[in-house]
This record gives sequence, C-alpha cells and structure tokens, in this order.
Amino acid sequence: MRVILSIAATSVGEAIRRRVLLVILLAGLLLLSILPGLSVLSARGEAANLVSTMYFVLQGTSVLIAIVLAVYMIPNEIERRTIYVILSKPVTRWQFLLGKYLGAVFAVGLMMGLMTIVALVLFWISQRPDAGRLAQLAQGPFMFFVQMCLLAAVTIFFSTFVSPLVNFFLSVGMYLMGTTLNSLYDSFVKNPDVNPLVRLAGQAVTTVLPNFSYYNVSNPLIHPEVEIQNPLTYYVNVTGYGVIYIMGLLIAGILIFDRREV
Amino acid sequence: MGVAMKKLVVWIAVLAIVQGALSNIVVRPRYARDFAPKSTREGGQLPSELIFLQFFGFREFLAGMLWVRADEFFERGNYDAILPIIRLVTWLDPHYIDVYATGMWHLGYNFTDEESRSDRRYIPFALALGEEGAANNPTTYEMFFETGWMWFHKIDDDYHKAIEWFLRANERPDILPARRNLLAVAYQRAGQIDEALNWYFKLLRDAEERLAKHKEYTFRMNRDTIEGNVDNTLVRMAQRGHFAMQRNDGSYETGAYDTRPPFDVGFSARIMVEEPLVIRVEGTWNVLPVGTRIRMVLRDADYEFGVPAGMVWDHAKDVNLDPPTDLTFMQDSLYVKNRRFSRRIDLSKDPTMYPFSKKTYILEFYYNPRSAPAHMQDKFGWSGEGMTDRNFLDTKIREGQRVMYCKLEMTQDQILRRGEWFDRTPVIKTTNFVPPRAGASPEGEVIIVPGLRAGAAKEGGPAPTGGQGGNGGPIATGVANP
Repeated sequence: MRVILSIAATSVGEAIRRRVLLVILLAGLLLLSILPGLSVLSARGEAANLVSTMYFVLQGTSVLIAIVLAVYMIPNEIERRTIYVILSKPVTRWQFLLGKYLGAVFAVGLMMGLMTIVALVLFWISQRPDAGRLAQLAQGPFMFFVQMCLLAAVTIFFSTFVSPLVNFFLSVGMYLMGTTLNSLYDSFVKNPDVNPLVRLAGQAVTTVLPNFSYYNVSNPLIHPEVEIQNPLTYYVNVTGYGVIYIMGLLIAGILIFDRREV
Repeated sequence: MGVAMKKLVVWIAVLAIVQGALSNIVVRPRYARDFAPKSTREGGQLPSELIFLQFFGFREFLAGMLWVRADEFFERGNYDAILPIIRLVTWLDPHYIDVYATGMWHLGYNFTDEESRSDRRYIPFALALGEEGAANNPTTYEMFFETGWMWFHKIDDDYHKAIEWFLRANERPDILPARRNLLAVAYQRAGQIDEALNWYFKLLRDAEERLAKHKEYTFRMNRDTIEGNVDNTLVRMAQRGHFAMQRNDGSYETGAYDTRPPFDVGFSARIMVEEPLVIRVEGTWNVLPVGTRIRMVLRDADYEFGVPAGMVWDHAKDVNLDPPTDLTFMQDSLYVKNRRFSRRIDLSKDPTMYPFSKKTYILEFYYNPRSAPAHMQDKFGWSGEGMTDRNFLDTKIREGQRVMYCKLEMTQDQILRRGEWFDRTPVIKTTNFVPPRAGASPEGEVIIVPGLRAGAAKEGGPAPTGGQGGNGGPIATGVANP
C-alpha cells in the first residue's frame, strides 16, 4: 500500500506542476468569480441560475481536468522511460497502475475542492445563505467528484492500450454517452414502436456502459423547494455503483497493462 | 492464462453483474423518481431530438441561460420568441417554477390584439402548462395556486375549478397565509357561501394561533384582515337574504332584503358592421352605477369546445404553443356608463387572431353576478337572485345561477361585408333595442350616479323594453336606417 501511495503522491506533484491543468483550473476559477455578476432575473431565478451555472463551470472544468490528467498518466511514464526505473524497483505493474489512478483522483479532488470552496464563498457573498444551504450545495460537487473518479478510471483503462489522442476522444465520447444513457434507456423502454430485440440490445448497452448521469443530482440542489426523501441513501448507492465500476475497470486495466510491452 | 489472471477475469465478471444489478434495480429507479425530469403529461417529456441537450448533465444551466435570453426578448416585446423558450426550459428543468408561472401568465395575458383583447385560444394551453407545472412540482403550492388564479381571474366564470386548484394549493404547507384568503372569495363566487364563511373561520383560528405564538405586526394585521372579512361576509349574508333563503320559510319573499325585488337590468343590443371586420356594438343596461362590464363573445358557430359565453377551457391535453389559426374566438367586455354601452370593435388588424374562415358565427352577451364587484352583488345577490331581465334572464346555461344571456347569429358575409352585404350595413339587434336619444352618448362626460337601492329604475327612467320574453330573446336582423 505504501508503494501505491508513494506513486500516487508523486503523480499528484506532477499534476500540480503541469501548466495545461493549471490553465484549465484558472479558467474555471475565473469563470466562477464572474458568475454573481451575470444574474438578471427574479431573486429566486437569480439564485437558481447562479447555482446551475456554478455547477456547470465546476463540472465542465472537472471533466477536462480529469481527462487531460488521466490521459497522460501512463503514456508519459512510458515516453519518458521513467517507467523502467519504477518497475525495476520492487513495484509490480498493478501497483503502478493503481498508484497512478489514485494520484489522478487525488489531484482532481484537490482541484475540485479548491473550485468548490471558491464557488461556495462567492455564493455566500452574493446570496447570504445559511450554513444548511451551503452544506446542501456542497453535495453536488461531492457527487461530481465520484463521477470524475469513474471518468478517471475509464481514461486510465483506455490508456493501457490506446494512444493519448485516441484515449482523449474515447473518454470524452464515453462521458457524453454516459450522460445521456438514462434518456436513451427511457426512449428504448417507453417507446412501444421499438423492436423487442433492439430494445434488449439497448438495455444491454445502457447496463454495460458507465452511467455518468446518475451523478447529476443538481436539480433538487438548484431548487431547494423540491423535496427528496432521504437523498443520502441514493448518494451511498450511487457511490457504491461507482466504486464497483471503478474496481472492474482497474482490474481490466491491470490485466491489459500486465501483458503489454513497455 | 495463469490462475491469477483467471481469478481477475472472474472478478471482472462478478463486478459487472453486481454493477448491472445495482444500476438497474437500485439506482436507476431512484434516479428516475427523484432526479430525472419526469413526463407527467403528454408532451412533458424532453423530445428525443433534444436528448443531447443533456450532455454533461447541464440541463439546468442551459435552462437558466435560455431563460435569461427569454428575459431579453420580453424586454424588447418580442413575445412570440419567448414561447418556444418557455417550452424548452420547462422540458430541460421541470422544477423551474418561475418559468411555469411566467409562461402561464404570458400565454394567458400577453398575446393580445391591437385593442388589447387577449387571445383566448391560448388559455387552454396556459392551463395545460399550469397542470404540468403542478404535476412536476407537487411539493410546493405555487403552480396549484397559479392555475387556480388563471381560473379565478382570467377565465372568471367557472369558480368551482378555481376552488379545486386553490384547495390543492392549500394542502401544501408552504402556502403564504395571505394567499389562503382567496379560497374564501372563490367559494363566494361559486355560490358556496357557507363554505366561504367556514373557511374564513378556519383562517381566523389559524391566524389567532399564529398571533398567540408570535406577537408581530404582520400576524396581527393578518388576523384583523380575516376578522374584517368574516364580519363583511356575515353582514352580506344577512342583507342579501342568504339566511332567510336557507330557512326556506317564506321569510325571504316577504323580507326587506337588498336583493328584493329582483331588479330588471333591461338588456338590449344592436350590432352594426360598419366596415368589413369592424363592428359597433351598442345597447342598454338599466343599471346606474358606472362600471358594469358585459361579456361579449364572438366565435365560430361550430367552435369545437364552445359553450355558452365561453369554452371548455381545460380541453387541451398538451401544451401547444400554436393556437388553432383557423378558429375565431373573440371575447371582450362592454363598459357601461349612463345605462348604455357603445363600442367600436376593429377586428381587421389581427387576421391571425380573427381569421373568420367559417360561414356562421355566434355573438353572445353575458352577465354573471358572481363576477360582479361586491357593491353590485349587494343588489343582485351572489347567484343573481336580485337580478332579472324580462327578455334575457337565463337559469339554464349556468347551473344554480341567474345570468343575463343573449345569443345572436351572424354570417361570414355580414362580418366581411361581402355578397349581398357589400353595399348594405348589416344590423343585428334585439327587438327591444331602443336607440339612444339624440345627443346622448355613453361616452359623454356626465355620469348620473344614484344608488341601486333607491328605486334606481324610477330615477333613471324605465328599463328599455319591447321584447317578447324568454331566453334567447327577440332578435331582428336588418339594414341600418339611414
């Protein structure tokens, strides 16, 4: 475990030093900081718009950070040949891959944490909500973080067998697919005109692919008058779903990476 | 493949099965229930071509940005551009209550012709939008109240529907105390006076409880207002003979109640088509206080959802932003002053709103005391028991009410001044219509204001007569005298 954590810590340090990630982060922070000035609607509409735009910036920036970060995690080591140095020590390939993944997750978490704090402070300055509302708003970024962990796992998995450029588009594609899965599922299940075989295939695809839309829980957070019964149970379930999916992806990644020539 | 590898493959298979089960059995139903936009009515679901707007789950952000854009359109008066945005926003974010409420109001009130008459063809869709908004936001009172308000204020005729929605709004704990009062008014306008009083008493009890807990000015004001409403209602119930009628012992018929004897409103009307699609409506209303508004409806004779002096307002099953462009439904209010009304109505400037594509039309005049202000109801009663009209009193078109209703017919040729009416002025009138004296004009500056109770008919002269009695009344069609 110490080895994995050590690789993770090194990866976090590398991530923080990467200019492209810092530029994305800075752009996100800048966008967040101008949001309170954009509102022109009624008081309630203004608050709803502020929160939805805040989440948009936070989630959009996080997606970019997670993919750009994870896409280069392993290829960079291979390209710079530092992987030989690492693997020549008593470090197995699975430990290396797991360490890299955890490093990506920690780095994404760090950057998301920073953006969340800035967003909440700005929201507090412009709307003066109570602590309960702030805590409620923080639930959104937490679920986005789990979503980013899943996305990072997808990207790391792909990075074990495809080039960074292909991986980038594959990961973005998977994310886009994953965020529309529920609507696709609905259109398959509820449409009586769909051929049963096609419906079955659709159900299979929507079951196998990672469902990123489960983590878009922002609607009731944007509209606090919407009452959700026991949201914590849902958060636990969907986090469990993410963890299981991530474990599957990492194991599959280990299997592929273990057989790969580096 | 080594044993370890095989174990890993087995692990992947197990995890895949677990995640599939978790996803389909546990997470997806809960997500669909609490977090996904729901389809509660036909048309409430995000259309398939818009599914991709959900990319990244940014539905709410897109909805917010679109709503900001709609605000800009509104500022510029570009109302037509707002409608598709409203529909899109409510699809993307069905919990955006402001959009539902504003959308309803916009559909119901803002689409008007050149003379500020709203396009009533939109109202069924406004109600459908309200219903969808209420179904998507069942935990808050707002859309229930807004839909009730549309029935109460805009439709202003079927108060039972308003009560239905206000009751549902009152079931929600977040309803504002001041908004609860409106249910009592709706009860009164629906003729359910005892229910109105009971509701006021309930509100009074609640207000007193609140005041006992919080000695604040607002709560005291609220309590005092309700108390005043209770007093007013009781006085009106007594003066309008409500208690006497309930006793049903003949005391109402012999008592000196404000609603006794019924007052003859002496309605008569004449419609002249002065130019193609320009009509002048004038007539009499033998009630002296200024400000009566007689409802006038001009619609296709075969209007699918038409009912006397209105339509089945909640017939729309879907929110359709394009009203039927081949149908005509015009509703206006005729303002009465000095016991006469005269109004020139120009329908030529809004061909999309008034296409007049059918052969025959119905012209209806309607007065319902339930929509009248309190000082008129003091004489006419809540349900018209203090009102009569020797020609046009109707007790059938509105159950349990005595209303004035007059129905005339016109043809497309008459309205468009075509065919035989090309060089003649079509005139349609009730036979009791008495032309105004020379020089007397309802648009004059002098207003005669005696009270209703002091023998108003005597002071103002006898009610115009000449009819033969019965609903539907005597009607004459002819050519204007030179």
